[in-house]
This record gives sequence, structure tokens and C-alpha cells, in this order.
Amino acid sequence: MRGPPRLRAVTLIATQSLTKVYGGRVTALSDLTLSVGPGVVGLVGANGAGKSTLIKLLLGLIPPSGGSLSVLGLDPTTQAADVRARVGYMPENDCLPPELSAAEFVTHLGRISGLPRTAARERASEALRHVGLYEERYRQIGGYSTGMKQRVKLAQALVHDPDLLLLDEPTNGLDPAGRDAMLNLIARIGSEFGISVVVCSHLLGEVERICNSLIAIDGGKLLRSAEISTMTTSTDVLAVEVSEGTDELGHRLAAAGLPPTREGRLLLVPLGSAPDAAYDTILAAVADLDLPLHRLEQRRHRVAELFAAREDA
Amino acid sequence: MTAVTMDGVSRWFGNVVAVNDVTMTLEPGVTGLLGPNGAGKTTLLHMMAGFLSPSRGTVMVGDQPAWRNPAVYRHLGLVSEREAVHGFLTAGEFVLASARLHKLADPAAAAAAALDLVEMTEFKDRRIDTYSKGMRQRTRVAASLVHNPQVLLLDEPFNGMDPRQRMHMMELLHRLGGEGRTILFSSHILEEVEQLSGTVQVMVSGRLAASGDYREIRRLMSNRPHVFAVSSTDDRRLAVALMAQPSVAGVELAPTGLTVRASDYGGFTRSLPKIALKEGIRVSRLTPSDESLESVFSYLVEA
Repeated sequence: MRGPPRLRAVTLIATQSLTKVYGGRVTALSDLTLSVGPGVVGLVGANGAGKSTLIKLLLGLIPPSGGSLSVLGLDPTTQAADVRARVGYMPENDCLPPELSAAEFVTHLGRISGLPRTAARERASEALRHVGLYEERYRQIGGYSTGMKQRVKLAQALVHDPDLLLLDEPTNGLDPAGRDAMLNLIARIGSEFGISVVVCSHLLGEVERICNSLIAIDGGKLLRSAEISTMTTSTDVLAVEVSEGTDELGHRLAAAGLPPTREGRLLLVPLGSAPDAAYDTILAAVADLDLPLHRLEQRRHRVAELFAAREDA
Repeated sequence: MTAVTMDGVSRWFGNVVAVNDVTMTLEPGVTGLLGPNGAGKTTLLHMMAGFLSPSRGTVMVGDQPAWRNPAVYRHLGLVSEREAVHGFLTAGEFVLASARLHKLADPAAAAAAALDLVEMTEFKDRRIDTYSKGMRQRTRVAASLVHNPQVLLLDEPFNGMDPRQRMHMMELLHRLGGEGRTILFSSHILEEVEQLSGTVQVMVSGRLAASGDYREIRRLMSNRPHVFAVSSTDDRRLAVALMAQPSVAGVELAPTGLTVRASDYGGFTRSLPKIALKEGIRVSRLTPSDESLESVFSYLVEA
């Protein structure tokens, strides 16, 4: 799918004090400074946090009110066409013409990106094959399922062989199997094709699964920008789950000097100063009570905590 | 305590069988309704809400039939998937209108209580078209709760909500279920269903493929070995000891730890702590690999 190796910018997206004010009143982004490296990046934030505004700015569809930004080293405010030639965009809303076939539609968009007729046709059929649409691509889009429409949207973003993909809610409306397939596809685009991907999503579990790093914005400001691995480090709390006798085990552990807190089916045991002894105590208690041990693992931080913590604040 | 019961219910549209011979009972508490697209979830919800007649079988809300019986709406609320609210109204006006339509004795008090329940009191005098998606969704929940129904049906309530709004909505449903209401919600996000409720009804191509607590459903799939990831101070010796157990079908040794396939769930989970203690091995991690709702769901759908 890829041509000869190209030089890749280390910083894909950089913004400096980026501000966007609509109509002089509504501030969508205020003083946003961030930089995005290669890989699969999750962009998360509450509704109205400014994600869509950021995407429009990155594509050069609207001018910023203040500050500067660059995409692949280009300035979208002055070089919008060059940016769009190297960026693939998958919009969130349903925007496909129902009376065209997927092959016609993706070919057309390839031609708009400047590909000659034959190359556009070849590239379109290749992109559609990559997203898993085969014979169906000659059928009218109007008869497609939600999952197939999402695939067409992804294929048109890939048709001109971009260096960067912007995906807005790619799993919206998909059922579990469709979501799974779409997530695998995005992870593959990131790892096998070497295309960097920015994914907007509301589903933090999804972001944890496929992204290397995460950018969270809130109220038009940067909330957090970090590698996913630094946000999911293990805690010094041990989660213990037994299929029966949870209360019994809780009492036993409390008596042994490891008072657990209960969270649903889990018993959360602080490891404290002697972690090895704590493991032994738990195992001995479970064995002694003859309980089925279902889970015993160190708790990990979750990306969701980023939002939960702010709610308390 | 009102339960919803379906007995031998089928619904077809022409030649298309949307729901095929479903028998289920919904108990008080929160239940998740799952299934791939086109499995018949919305048809099922609409029959429970009395919008569609069953082609065969009976749907009862408490002791009353759901179809052609406006009286069920005294006990039932529905939050539909399509978002149809009047943007020019405020939440207060919208919920009050619902209260009036139900001919409640004190509509203003009922509306205020419902708005309070969904934590929308603060914003009730703002027009709905200025709301975020989550606020609109909560307003719709308030409108369907205004007559204090015992049964609440929600079709994809989390669609389009951001993480904070999702957490809010989950807490709300959890609380309502805890109060003894019967709550059924459909969703595609299995992680959320797992967090909100262990009890699920799984539809696959019009049929009820499984119902109950998903962990118990998993135990019933006895033809699939239970897979666990195990780490310990001495993986190799633990592997040898585990292989001697009749409840263990296979052990794989990798630098990161053991993968254990157990053919007998109860046997393995009871014996592992004892074996480790006997051998003097400290188990630092035991993680079930295919016990999540996600894997249970995929087993059900592919079967």
C-alpha cells in the first residue's frame, strides 16, 4: 500500500496559544497549547469541550481567532490545500450520498484529492478492500448498514494515502462486533501502514485499548496530554474476587490486619508496607475458607479517573 | 414491585421475523438488553411499551397486558432512541406538560420531584435547545419518570453522551434500580453494561440467546474452557503442579506468566490457592481472561 519511505515529521500537530471565539461571544478554544507525536492518539473531552472546533482548525476549514497551529509542519490557515492533501478526515455525521456506490464515491473523492482517473479507481478499490468492503462496494450506499457506512467513511479518508488520519467518533452506532472490527482496523492502520491517527471518542475504554497517547481537553483548555501507559499504571491496591463467600473473606482479612473495602464483587486490599506478606495472607485465607478464587491482581489506574476526579473537584 | 413478563412472544413484519418466541421475566433492578444490530431489541422494547402488538404470545406489565391498554402507562415510562424534544420549551415546561398529560393530582410538585431526581432543577428554566446532549437525555428521563412509574424502558440511553454524562446517567439508573424499579436499557457498549448491571438479556437474530447474570451464563458454557492468566514466583513449578489437576485442561508457559485453561471452573479456582500454598509459591496475579461480558457476548453471538 505504501510507496518508498518518506521523511516523517516528528511532531504531527502543534498548537501555540490557539484560541477560537465564535461571533465574538462563544469561546470554543482558549489558549490551547499542545503537541502531538506519531502513533494512535485519542482526543477526548466533554461535549462542547472544543474537539470539533479543533478538528475544523486543523483542516483549515475555519481560521483561528488567535495563536498559531501547524499540521505536519504546514500552517492550515495559509496552506489549507497542502494540509488536506496529506490528511485524511472521517467526519462523525452521516454524510454519504445514498444513490452512489461506495466505489464511485471513493473514486470521486480520490479525484478531488488530485489523483488521475485510473489511479483514483485503483486506489479506491484498494482502500475499500482494506476496510473490508468487497463485492458490496458496487451497491448503492443507501442500502448499507451503519457498520458498512462507517467503513466507507474510513476508506475515503485513506484513498489519497495520507500521513495523518483524523477520525471523529469512528465507532458511533456500531454494534459490538462492528466496534471490535473498526478498532482492530484503526490499530492496524497505525501499526502496519504507519499512518498516524487521531481518534475522537467518548468511550474511554476504547481509547485505552487502541491509543498510545491521549489528549484531553475541557472547556477549550488542555486538561491532560500523556502516554496512555502513564495513566494506567498499577496502584498499590490489590483487587480480590471470589465467586462466593465474599463477606466471609472480608471478615477474615480484616481479622488478619488487612481490612478490605468492598466494591461490588471486589474486595480492595491496600498492600501497605509488606506487600509480599499481604499476598501470602490473602492466599492462605482463601485456601483456608475453601473459596473459589476468581481474581487476584493489582489495580490499575483508569483513564476514566481523569474525569471522575474532576467531578469531585 | 412490578415485573414485565413475555410469554412465547413473536413479532413479524411481513416475512421478516423480528422477534421469535421470546419468553422472559424482568425483575426489579437494572437489566441490560444486548444484541447485534437487527437482533430485535427495539421491537422488543416497543412491544413492552405497548407500541406494537405481538404477532403471537402475550406481554404483561405487572398483571396487565401491554397492548391496547393505556392503563399500563400509569406504571410504565419509555425513553425512546430517537430524540424528539421541543427545543423552544424549558425542561420545567416539558416535564410539567408530561405531568399534566398523566392527569397527576399535583403536576407541579411531580415535575419538580422528577427534575430533582435527574439533577436538572438548576437548569429547568433554560430552553431545551441550549442544553448539551446529556442534559437533554436527563430531561427526557425526567419526563418519563414524572408519574413515578415502576417500570422504565430506555433505548440506547448513552448514545452520544460524553464520559461525565455517562457516569451521571449510570449513577441515576443504578439509584432508580436500587429503589426497586424495573429498569431495562439497551446498549452496545458492553463495558458499560458490565459496570451498571450484571443481569442481561441477550437477543441474537430475534431469539433470546441467554438471560441472567452474565457470570453465571459464562459458567453454563461448560464446553469452553475458562482461561486464566497467572503469574507467580515460580511459574514452571506451578505449571507442573497444575497439570496434575483433573480440573486443568492445559497450561502454557511464557516469559510473562502462565495461561491456564481450566475445564472445571469450580475445581480450578478452589484448588489453585491450596496448590500454591503447598508448593510454597506466591501467586502475584490471577486474572480471568475470558470472563468479561465482552467475551461472553461474542461466544453467544457466534454460537
